[in-house]
Amino acid sequence: MKDVVLFLRRNTLAVVGLVILVALIGLITIGPSLTGYSPTKLDILHKLAAPSLDHWLGTDAFGRDVLTRIMYGGRATLAIGVGVVAIAFAVGVFFGMLAGFAGGWLDNLIMRIVDAILAFPALVLAIALSAAFGPSLQNAMLAVAITLAPQFARVARSQALSISVKPYVEAAISLGLPSHRILLRYIFVNGLGPLLVQSTLALGSAILQTASLGFLGLGAQPPMAEWGADVSANLQYVRGAAWVVLAPGMAILLAVLSFNLIGDSLADWFNPRRRSELE
Amino acid sequence: MASFIIRRLIALIPVMCIVLVIVFSLVRIIPGDPATTLLGPGATQDQIEALRAQLNLDQPVILQFYHYVLGLFVGDFGYSLKTGQPVATEILQRLPATIELSVLAVIVAVIVGIPIGVLSAVRPNSMFDHVTRLVSLIGVSMPAFLLALILQLIFATSLGWLPVSGRVSPYLPIEHVTGFVILDGLLTGNVQGALSAVQHLILPTAVLAAFLAATLGRFVRNTMMDVMGEDFIRTAKAKGLRNRQVVLNHGLRNSLLPAVTIIGLKFAEMLGGAILTETIFAWPGIGRYMFEAIKNRDYPVIQGTTLVFALLFVLTSIIVDVLYGILDPRIRRKMG
Amino acid sequence: MKIWNGIVVAAAVLPLLGSAAFAQADAKLKTLVVAVPSDPVALEPGTNKAEPIGSEIILNVFDTLVAWTAPDFKVLEGRLAKSWTVSDDGKVFDFRLREGVKFQDGTAFDAAAVKFSLERTKATNPYVKATFDLIKEITVVSPTELKITLSAAYPAFLSILAQPQAAIVSPAAVAKYGDKFASNPVGTGPFAFKSAQADTNVVLEANPNYFRGAPKLSQIIYRVIPDASTRRLELEGGGVDIVQQQGQLSAIAAQDIEALKANKDLKVLEASSQIIRQLEFNNSKTDGPFSNLKARQAIAHAIDYDGLLQGVFGGTAERVYGPLTSNSWAFNPKMKELAPKYDPELAKKLLAEAGIKPSSLNLKLYSFQGPLWGAVATFVQANLADIGINATIEQTEFPALRTLQTSGQFDVALDGRQPWYNDPDAHITIGYLSSLANTAMTFRMPQDKALDDLILKAQQTPDMEVRKQLYFTIQEEIAKRVPGAYLFSPKLIVFARANVEGLVVNSAPPLNEYWSVSKK
Repeated sequence: MKDVVLFLRRNTLAVVGLVILVALIGLITIGPSLTGYSPTKLDILHKLAAPSLDHWLGTDAFGRDVLTRIMYGGRATLAIGVGVVAIAFAVGVFFGMLAGFAGGWLDNLIMRIVDAILAFPALVLAIALSAAFGPSLQNAMLAVAITLAPQFARVARSQALSISVKPYVEAAISLGLPSHRILLRYIFVNGLGPLLVQSTLALGSAILQTASLGFLGLGAQPPMAEWGADVSANLQYVRGAAWVVLAPGMAILLAVLSFNLIGDSLADWFNPRRRSELE
Repeated sequence: MASFIIRRLIALIPVMCIVLVIVFSLVRIIPGDPATTLLGPGATQDQIEALRAQLNLDQPVILQFYHYVLGLFVGDFGYSLKTGQPVATEILQRLPATIELSVLAVIVAVIVGIPIGVLSAVRPNSMFDHVTRLVSLIGVSMPAFLLALILQLIFATSLGWLPVSGRVSPYLPIEHVTGFVILDGLLTGNVQGALSAVQHLILPTAVLAAFLAATLGRFVRNTMMDVMGEDFIRTAKAKGLRNRQVVLNHGLRNSLLPAVTIIGLKFAEMLGGAILTETIFAWPGIGRYMFEAIKNRDYPVIQGTTLVFALLFVLTSIIVDVLYGILDPRIRRKMG
Repeated sequence: MKIWNGIVVAAAVLPLLGSAAFAQADAKLKTLVVAVPSDPVALEPGTNKAEPIGSEIILNVFDTLVAWTAPDFKVLEGRLAKSWTVSDDGKVFDFRLREGVKFQDGTAFDAAAVKFSLERTKATNPYVKATFDLIKEITVVSPTELKITLSAAYPAFLSILAQPQAAIVSPAAVAKYGDKFASNPVGTGPFAFKSAQADTNVVLEANPNYFRGAPKLSQIIYRVIPDASTRRLELEGGGVDIVQQQGQLSAIAAQDIEALKANKDLKVLEASSQIIRQLEFNNSKTDGPFSNLKARQAIAHAIDYDGLLQGVFGGTAERVYGPLTSNSWAFNPKMKELAPKYDPELAKKLLAEAGIKPSSLNLKLYSFQGPLWGAVATFVQANLADIGINATIEQTEFPALRTLQTSGQFDVALDGRQPWYNDPDAHITIGYLSSLANTAMTFRMPQDKALDDLILKAQQTPDMEVRKQLYFTIQEEIAKRVPGAYLFSPKLIVFARANVEGLVVNSAPPLNEYWSVSKK
């Protein structure tokens, strides 16, 4: 706890990120129960109304309250981010740790596949996967997760490499502990720090890329509220009613920014050399 | 050096093989029959069958793969299902536009990103550091489509300073020599056309470069801070060298190495971003070509463009390795 | 080094570019820039599949024998044909051709060129196989006289001859360029092909010897701009003069129209189309909820047609009452009464009578991609939710959706048909003939001999008045079967700079001709 307080006191930007994040989470958890509007119910008579006291961020082309859509859309968008990173983390870390710990041909094989996936522009792979399995939020998430997994695999592998030569791991091996136990108990637990930093930063990328897929029409399907899809669906109104595009667009920006602010500061913190500069 | 490059090129083979297999199978699981798509409504079942046979689509997948790989070796990427033109030709027509845009974006990103990173690292936790970190984090967090839209609205529509989209004014056509329009304009003495091309480049370059510049700035700051803590810097400072000298001669040089890596790594991500940027700015490059192909189920084009993207990425990483060697004498010696 | 000097010079004169633009003003007045969403597929009547951009360019580079007369498009006029007669049995067409017309390459146009062109399309273009296969023989009687004999009567044949696939090509140019003809097209039209750059533009130059008189413009540049909002920004900034109508079909123009109408620099041209967009059932399916007529009727009554037209389209689309649009010459006025009206209570009652609990239905509502379809799907989904039906939208890429449809793996889908020739045949035969059920974009009608016979009879009857009555009956018969809910017919909308004059929005086929266009 003391550590956390110290971290925050030394990292103004992390505080800014945390404030934005808490505000956003508050908005999407408590907001929906406070708003009187439905995110999907149409009210064509009041379409594209400018921001007012009734509709703080105006209404969209179907007369739906933009703020309400952002509240519900945030649930989807943030859930996507967390879901994607969880998948990418699980897959990437498993194979990365395995490669680093086992070494030899297995390491070679895994890392070549990782290289190959890295060689695809992430969006390209995601588009192809979405096109292959049909456009839906689940598929977009899966696609983005696959493109993010290699980064985790790389970090995990280098962690595993440096940790497996540590005396305590060598001791565990010589004691004859089973490999899966060594992997989990020693290597995974001790290498967790940098992986968590990577996760925070990846959260931002995940949201951004899913939003880009939504922008290309390959993510969430209407009438579901999702920030990226909402930007895309309303783009045609940007000249006459900028709020329907800028509001969800700014929401994406803020969410990604908050994760990046926190992740960036955490990265500094976990780096002993830089930490000394900060203190 | 030469043997090092050759070894790197050989290491490229397994990666490209895996890429090839992934691309090929990915394209096969995209639903929608290309023959039906190609013939359009009104085609009879017989015609569809005939075309499927002609495109080898009626053969087992393994055989299709064999035909495809065989063709690649003679530069045959197949024919676009939409236009009937050779995919290789169509890619070559569009490659210069993408290269022009992305290379310029890298240059801009380096010019903007590295100084910011250095200055911020010299004075960590200063006001300048906070502001640049915040701005660069916003740069990394900004969805490309949003940035593109905002820039178009401000600089093209409201202020009218720059063109909304396209590569050169339609009234100033540039003769085709190399495919790089600015170069072609200058080579053919069409200075006005070249200027128009420069104007058209500004907004899309800014959008593509923003992400990379921000990433680079953050990265250089972090590595610089690491390097500045190293013993040799302390020694240099203790020797009484001026601060600027230390930063430039020792700090920057040593943190440039990882920066080169990050540029290489992010290059692929940037090419992916080119899909959005090229579509919004009506830029005739391969990113947009690929997106259209995916929409049209144009199998040979999807395969061809993905391979080109992957190849560009892998080649970049080799160039990065070579640069690494040039910048760092220790590695150069190891390369032998 | 030279290049670097150039760059330095370039940087120095950058601020002067504004004055350089001044010198281009004259060229600008003679040049029309048209924004299109993608490259033309091919400028080749021999392979054209009614793809809108290529088709429009073809109609400006080539001529057809006949064309629909602007602005009503109800009567055919001669183009390369001066006049024609049709035999009583409807099988023999005698054309008298225009004299002294030259192709853009200088060779003379004659009856042999017509025979050559039509036979070429017949041999190479699967898209028009069904109709061109009706041609039994084309005889060159004299250089200015041509006889076409069909194997069966087909009154819509003249409509087909007004299509881009039936455009007359220069036989000399085909001989010269062979399979490269598509990149060097030569016709008799008002504009000659000059150059094309992939994903960038297609440039056409005026043909000063055009037989109807030289066009007022000196060139047309088709600029390829894939993104709809970028097209609009370009139009407002003057970077393009016209946004081609096809560009409007994937996005709702309502909001744009309001804003653009208020803009004095721009004008908006509108015309009714014969396009029909519908919610269709999988009519071949013998199980599932919608094999029951009452369930289909329920859906048809659940949709708020006027709300859709006003709310979503803001008056840029019109009501469709049945299988034909109300501007078709064969439209049965009785359909206005027979068409289902929005009545959610009745819809619920009908569902109950069909023995279907709305909450038990979990529909997948398939739709095309793009904001227009997204908006329509959202609206329909909300209408269905109002009567208790839960539908999830799946916006699917065109090729994938077509595969789903031709293989019958759906219950309900949003779909549409854009007829390319000006004849009810284009909607009725292809949409509802049961033998075509498994081909693309049909209503997948089940075996129904009575209806099939009617459709084929109407297709082949030469007497237009009898034909009309047959189509009247067919419309009522189809409506009884409720194969879908006819949602709307989008208007054809062209956005243009205010100084563009003489443009007529063409509805059949929905392509613009620029011969008469000028800029002030």
